[in-house]
Amino acid sequence: MSTRLTNDEVVDRALEALRAGRVATAEVFVRDALSGSVETKEGALEVVTARGERGLGVRVLDAQRIGFAHTSDLALAGIEACVDQARRMATITEPDEDLRIAGAPLETVDLDIYQPGLEERPLADRGAVALAVERAARSVDPRITHFRKTSYSDAEVTTVIATTRGVRASYRESFCGAMTSAVATQNGERQIGYHGEGARRIAELDPESVGTRAAQRAIEKLGAKAFPTQKLPVVLDPWMAMSLLGAISPLFSADNVLKGRSLFAGKVGERVANERVTIVDDARRRGGLRSAPFDGEGVATTTRILVERGVLRGYLVNLKTAGKLASPPTGNARRGSYASPSRIGPSNFYIEAGADDPTALVRDPGRALAVTSLLNLHTIDPVSGEFSLGATGTYLEKGAPVHPVQGITIAGNLTHLLSSISGVGTDLTFGASGIGSPTLLIAELSVGGT
Amino acid sequence: MTVRDVERALRTALSRGGDWAELFWERHETLQLVLDDKRIEDAITGVDQGAGVRVTSGEQTVYANGNMTDVDDVMAIAGRAARSVADGSGLHEAARLVPDELPRPHSVAIDPRTVPVERKVALLRLANDVARAHDPRVSQATVSYAESVQEILVANSEGVHRTDTRVRVNFAVQVVAKDGVVLESGFEAVRGTLGFELLTEDAVRDAAESAARRAVLNVGAQPAPAGTYTVVLSSEAGGTLIHESVGHGLEADLNLKGLSVYSGRIGEKVASELITVVDDGRDPGRRGTAAMDDEATPTQRTVLIAKGILKTYLSDRKHAEKLGIPRSGNARRENFRHLPICRMSNTMIASGDSDPAAIVRSVKDGIFVKKMGGGQVDVVSGNFAFEVTECYRIRDGKLAEPLRGATLVGQGPKLMSEIDMVGWDLGYSTGTCGKDGQGAPVADAQPTLRIPSVVIGGKIQ
Repeated sequence: MSTRLTNDEVVDRALEALRAGRVATAEVFVRDALSGSVETKEGALEVVTARGERGLGVRVLDAQRIGFAHTSDLALAGIEACVDQARRMATITEPDEDLRIAGAPLETVDLDIYQPGLEERPLADRGAVALAVERAARSVDPRITHFRKTSYSDAEVTTVIATTRGVRASYRESFCGAMTSAVATQNGERQIGYHGEGARRIAELDPESVGTRAAQRAIEKLGAKAFPTQKLPVVLDPWMAMSLLGAISPLFSADNVLKGRSLFAGKVGERVANERVTIVDDARRRGGLRSAPFDGEGVATTTRILVERGVLRGYLVNLKTAGKLASPPTGNARRGSYASPSRIGPSNFYIEAGADDPTALVRDPGRALAVTSLLNLHTIDPVSGEFSLGATGTYLEKGAPVHPVQGITIAGNLTHLLSSISGVGTDLTFGASGIGSPTLLIAELSVGGT
Repeated sequence: MTVRDVERALRTALSRGGDWAELFWERHETLQLVLDDKRIEDAITGVDQGAGVRVTSGEQTVYANGNMTDVDDVMAIAGRAARSVADGSGLHEAARLVPDELPRPHSVAIDPRTVPVERKVALLRLANDVARAHDPRVSQATVSYAESVQEILVANSEGVHRTDTRVRVNFAVQVVAKDGVVLESGFEAVRGTLGFELLTEDAVRDAAESAARRAVLNVGAQPAPAGTYTVVLSSEAGGTLIHESVGHGLEADLNLKGLSVYSGRIGEKVASELITVVDDGRDPGRRGTAAMDDEATPTQRTVLIAKGILKTYLSDRKHAEKLGIPRSGNARRENFRHLPICRMSNTMIASGDSDPAAIVRSVKDGIFVKKMGGGQVDVVSGNFAFEVTECYRIRDGKLAEPLRGATLVGQGPKLMSEIDMVGWDLGYSTGTCGKDGQGAPVADAQPTLRIPSVVIGGKIQ
């Protein structure tokens, strides 16, 4: 352990190995994370987990060919082997004249994303958060009888990037999150309700809200009935809307656009959504769960309007696609880990709050279906834009719940969904994934049932 | 790391109390090559090495884990686990380790690491060429090759010390077809717990052809209807149905909590007499196959449902003991960062005795599902949904026009009691199962099945 290199030393050794190997352009990335989690069972801590994770990713650009290697072996020999492998990988890929390694200097910016000492809090404090979630859920209704899983987790993460073109920067961030799946029981029927929230600081995390909402989600499904096949207006509360919005984000990827995999290709300046809809990607949002000063390629992040009152304004780009589109880089090369190269993706991605009172949105259509859970979101094909999802919901007449429904599907196309948004609530809410949405009213969707 | 090092780590783990300790060590080498938009775009390689130390103490489990460079890191992880143990019940001694080796379900003929990269690149190009030559409407192809060699060591304070090596290859083709403004994609993969021998030119060609055919078919297909229909699931459709509608509900962890629709029902009739469900972690070469699970329990063939009667659950050590059922070798973890959880390996509905062609002929008006995609289940209510990536209308016992954008939804036990015809054929599919934030490679299989009435999610015209 005495030989353990610091993060900066790891970066320095990697840069030295690159120079020694006469590599002209390359990028070195180190991520170092400490994290912990607790799970509860029936009022007591059941599982306690602690994790330390540190690794190096090296991207070599040689004769416009890119190679990538990663390692968790951070002794000098491991670092040198990783550099060698990245060089070898760059001999396999084919050249692309728009590939770039970042060279623009980065300014220091404080985004309020780090609470020091989060990982030094005693275990009992962490357990207390999870136990508070369970208690809050139980206090909602005596029909909350079980929990599938209740957990609290947190992490402190350091990210360091350096390029041979002079970029060198780092930032620290923290996360904490709580989730539960509460189970409601009534006359032999069981229904589950999931809810999770995340924050950058422990004081911003509300265990009461997590437990209460999960319990309400389970209770609202009790007494579910089958539902006839029909078209009708659909209400998506912020949490349900976020999950569909997440599926829409690949349409904005310049990589998908350039490769003919996005329905938004060639649509800049055109209407792609209802005029009530403005979609923003804001990596500089203070305290945002996906805020960062720079992206996975070492490019400064930005705040952008992607859809302005229904009109497409631009795409999410990394350095390569910015070159191909002759547009400025937006800092949207997202990096999940040191072990994977960055991919184009959104940061804090949200639909702006609208003008409609959310309760009025539910009341206005004579009949509507409020969606309460969605199954199979991972199967939405962003290429075709088509979705057909399992769902549960609450059937509403004049805003009043008539009965819950299950065993149904909702289907449509993502582009059609955007253009059929006929109401946008004032209640913009951000979820644990950094995606945000207000309540949305969809004028009409196909609901499959009996 | 020597056997003595491992013993030392286990002793350290139990040094502050706890009933039982386990060390999981892993070294995972990967290579991924991606051809996209006619270019070899990504070449990614790496080594992920780390360890996790688990200590149990009564009802509590402590798990410390991290990357490792050397043995000192493992000792630090064991020390971290020990410091989190809140136990006043006294000290337990770790038994002396007795290393042994389990028989392997199959041997790997060609270690993919020994195959020249040019050969791998040539297969990517072959798939790209085949897909693009299939039809002028094919507008884009992404082909990826991934090899993965995971070496693991599992040792525990009862003296168990076992290793396993999982060699896997995964060759995937995604094709986009375009017709006017309509874009559709088609996907096919060849993957298994096998070496490079799995990736013959024929296998690669077939995968590319299937992905392209599916994309082109869907671009010209009618949107699927919404409503309740009779459905025939082809054996070629893969096993998403069994995985989602039954498999997850039979995982012991959910059953111990009484949360599954199958909880407390061992010995009861939970499906039609035509239905026998098996999980087989030793099926040679399948994507979910291994010599042992991630707690060092040997994998096995487990009959879960025999002619409609529930026999047992898929278990790990803890849940087998608590439920009083045998260990089935189904404790799996994505990597050293996670505790193992109860989950499927290769799961199937066993073949029946109906002629598959006769099953299709028996349906006057219905839907024929030829390929399923991903799925998801809510195990508490039993409600599941799965994606259909290739299907046709059945009219008067014959396949008619193709349909796109369908999803099937239902409730597991209800659907399993309604299936009224089971074919004599059997078809496999592969996937990556997600549970509690962990991915696991799995295979599923089923014969041709008839479901008299099930909800199809599509568009209302």
